[in-house]
Order: sequence, then structure tokens, then C-alpha cells
Amino acid sequence: MDYSFIKLTVGLIATIGLYSILYRENKFYRLTEHIFVGLAAGWSLVALWTVTLKDMWWSKMMGAEASETSGVVAGYWPYVFLLPIGLMGYFVFNRKHSWMSRIPIGIILGLVVGQEAGAWLKRDLPQIEAAMKPIVPNTEVGFFVPTDPVAGALYPSQMLGNIIFLTTMLTVLSYFLFSFDFKTKFMQKSTLTGRWLLMIGFGAIFGNTVMTRFTLLIDRMYFVWIEWLIQGVFKMG
Amino acid sequence: MATNDPTPRSFGQRLQSLSRQTVYLILIIVVSASVLISKFMGLTLPNKPGAGSQDFFAAIMAIPEGSTVFIQSDVTNSTRGESAGQFEALLRILMRRNIKFAVFCASGEPQAPQVAIDVIARINAQRIANGERAYERWNDWVSLGLFPDGRATAKAMMANLRTAIDKKDTPPGKPPTDVWQSPVMEKLKVIDDIGLYILVTASKTSDILVERLKFAPVTYGDVPLRTKLGCMVTGVMGPETNNYYRSSQIFGVVIGLNGAVEIEHLMENGIKPGQSETYRSLSIEGFKGMQNYARGMAYYLALHTAMGLLIVLVIMGNVGMWLTRRQTGGGA
Repeated sequence: MDYSFIKLTVGLIATIGLYSILYRENKFYRLTEHIFVGLAAGWSLVALWTVTLKDMWWSKMMGAEASETSGVVAGYWPYVFLLPIGLMGYFVFNRKHSWMSRIPIGIILGLVVGQEAGAWLKRDLPQIEAAMKPIVPNTEVGFFVPTDPVAGALYPSQMLGNIIFLTTMLTVLSYFLFSFDFKTKFMQKSTLTGRWLLMIGFGAIFGNTVMTRFTLLIDRMYFVWIEWLIQGVFKMG
Repeated sequence: MATNDPTPRSFGQRLQSLSRQTVYLILIIVVSASVLISKFMGLTLPNKPGAGSQDFFAAIMAIPEGSTVFIQSDVTNSTRGESAGQFEALLRILMRRNIKFAVFCASGEPQAPQVAIDVIARINAQRIANGERAYERWNDWVSLGLFPDGRATAKAMMANLRTAIDKKDTPPGKPPTDVWQSPVMEKLKVIDDIGLYILVTASKTSDILVERLKFAPVTYGDVPLRTKLGCMVTGVMGPETNNYYRSSQIFGVVIGLNGAVEIEHLMENGIKPGQSETYRSLSIEGFKGMQNYARGMAYYLALHTAMGLLIVLVIMGNVGMWLTRRQTGGGA
């Protein structure tokens, strides 16, 4: 029995263990779940050191002697101050000294808050700009966009798409004007249309989510039947 | 005295009272059968790639040979069903086009770098089995490992790419060495030197990159790009990432399992003139005769049958409710 087959079989047992919850709560499921959580936590600790802290903090702080791939690298001693700042975070578990944990939390909060204004501008302004769509066609050559369209031309088929987009955007925006009591029929219809369009949007989003969940199951069944049984046990395909 | 003679249930009530376990069992049987049928019959279902996938494919087919692509792979095996198919298709294209790549995770997901390395090893093994050149770590691709904070990493890359990535990888037969000595990285100085920046994710890391990365517009062949950032996301993240595509904040988007199949379809058939919504006259040859349909297509039939089953069950439940209400004169 080779190593890769043992690995596949462990994966199979874990899959059955985790899926056994679909029948009912049981000890096999709990055992598999706890093994998974323990493995993930252990892996995270090791990975955090080997592929992050060692290169980005420890090696930089300590420097390096000349080797066949690089010359002498001087250590950057101020990095030593990062350790006590990071460790202060753990004082959150100590009632008397918990105030110390606010220092690293404050630094992180400050860094994030400082970035957010610029982040908002970069994230949302282009979307507002892209929402300003033309609705008057400026060409009479055909209804649909041809293979070689005129640069800057708006074809009637594009106009229809833009009208649907703008109608959706404006009616949905009107739905969120909660502070006003609309008396006119036009605005009442607009908010109602906005609500319906929102529901359709949520349905589409939910459909995407369902597809994702199904794909998780499909992948596990592919693993069990194709990767473990056909390729692992029968050595086919 | 208690009696064991419950009132017989009507057909409508029976339709509504399928147990949870029965539904799961039917679903597992249907999905298993679909996966096996797809495998043994080699089914290729029809597909019409959307604009997001077409633009994504056009960009990665247009970048010059020898360029370096950054792949931020934030996914683990938890979303293998969608992400692995996308990632494998991306790697196949890059390797066939001799494009170098650096892979890393910047979402604080410690398993992600190893998951990416495993997928690269799997694709490499297939290439060797097909008689193609093995893609060599260090000379053709490097692993930059894990960056625990995506926000800080993106910001640091914008400020100074060289100091932001202070990592080592292992050249063949040598000890771990500074990645900037690798042929993959040595020509890069600022973020605009990267050919493309591709994010494979199952979470909101697309927001972080859109908010913090900024690329100068560039034209590769017949494909003008306003940004070098493209995304491969799960179905859950699809709707909100699609907004970034529609506002040209990313050059293309591949969504979920359907997106993986779309890319595989484009690898097989290419893009014909008039087919792309964005680049109307664009023509791209696919990789006809090579293994293009893979994990995405292997799962596609099962996705259809599972969705079909869901629709049937929803209809059954509603018909059952309607029959019961009619029988009880409108009451529940």
C-alpha cells in the first residue's frame, strides 16, 4: 500500500465522518471534527512561523552571514520591539493588565481606519461613475452591436440594457428613502418596483450560493468515487 | 387509551413530509451517479462563456511570453469544488504560454500556499505524462508563501514591491535564496512591471485589492486593459465581484464552477470574431487537441442534476402544500 493511497483513504474516512452528521449527531462526526480543528490549528502555527515570521521578522532582525547565495546581511535590531507589542495582545486574558492589550489593537485599528477613506474612494467612486450610462442611441446602423462597431457608438440593443440598468438602480435607490412618506402614486410604484427588483436580485445571489454549496458536495463525491475508488483502489484513469 | 392508528396522510401531506435524511440520500445518489457517468462517458456539455470569462481569457492569452504573473491564491481545499477547477485551468494556460508566475496567499489562510503548491505539482505531473516540459520551481515559478494581512501587503506592494516581498524560495539543488534572484522576479521593480495580478479567492479579498492596488492602463496585443487585476471567485462571491468587472475595476472575472467550465470551453474553442462583447473583432486560437476539459467539466453534469433535483423538490413541496390547502378548504 503506497503513501498516496493511505493519504486518500484517510481523506475518505474524514469525508464519511464529517458527512455522517447528515444522518444525525454522532461520536464519529465529533471525533473527525475535533481532529480537523486540531490539525488546522497546528498547521497554522507552524505555517505562520515557517512561511511568514521567519522570513519577514526573525531573519531580518537577526541578519545573516555570507552564504553561497547571498552576502552578509546586517540585522535590523528595531524589529525586536515588535515582539513585546504583539505579546501585549495576550493581556486581554488578564483582568488587571488587560489595558495593555488595547495598545496593539489601537495600532491595528489606526492603520485600518487611516486606509479606509482612500479605500472607499477607490472602491466606490468608479462604480458610481460606471452607473452613469447613456440612454440615447447615437447610431442608426442596425439594432445589435456589429462585429466591428463604430467607436463611441451606442446601439439600440445597448440602450435597452442601459435603460433596464438605470430603472433598476433608481427604483432600488428610491426604496431606501425610508425617511419620507411618499404620497404620489409615481413614487409609491417606484419603491414597490425597487422592492421587487431587490427580491429578484437576492434570488439570483441565493442561486449562486446554492450552486457553491452543491459544488462542495460534488467535489467530495468526485473524491470518493473517482480519486479514491477508481484511481486509488482500481488504479484506472 | 392511546391508539397507534394515526390518521392516514394525504398525498399532499406525504409530498411535504420527506425526511431530511431521505433528501440527502437522494442528492448523494444523484450527484454520485452524475460524477461517474460524466467520467466514464466523457461528457462535454454545451456552454456559452460570459463576458467576464471571455475578457479574463483574452487578457491571459494576450500577455507577452516570459512575463511574470502574480497569483494571489487565497483558497484552500474547503472550496476545491470551484476554486481548483479555476486554478488548474489558469495554470494550464500560463504553462502552455511559457508565462512565469509567483504564487502566494495574502488572506491569512495558512493552508493556502501548500494547497497551491500541491495543485501546481498535480498539473506538472500531467504535463510530464503528456510529454510536455516540466515547469520548474524557481526558474518558471516561485512560491512567496503566506502574507498574514492582505491590506498591509497590498499597500506595501504599491509603495515598494521589492521591500514588500522579502521572501525566500528554493532553487534546484541550492539552499533557500532571496526570491528576487529568481528569473521569475528579477526583472520586477514596481507593481506595474507585473504582467497581470490574478486573485483566486473564496472571500472578500477582492475588495481589499480593488481598494488598494492601482495599475497603469496597458495594451497587450489587441487587448487594452484599464487594470491588471483579474479575479477567479466562488459562486458566493460572484455577484459582488461582478460589480467590479462591470465598472472596469478588474479586467475579467471567472465565477464559480460555471466560470471554470467557461475557461475550459475557451481553452478548447478560443474566441472567434464577434463573440467577445468587449473586444468585438478579437480572435484568439484555443489549445485544440490538448487536455482542456478537466475538473470543471467533470463536475458540470452533477451540478445540473443537483440543481434539477432541487427544483423538483421545491415544486413537490409546493404542490403538496397546494393540495393540502385545497383539501382542508384553504387552511394550512
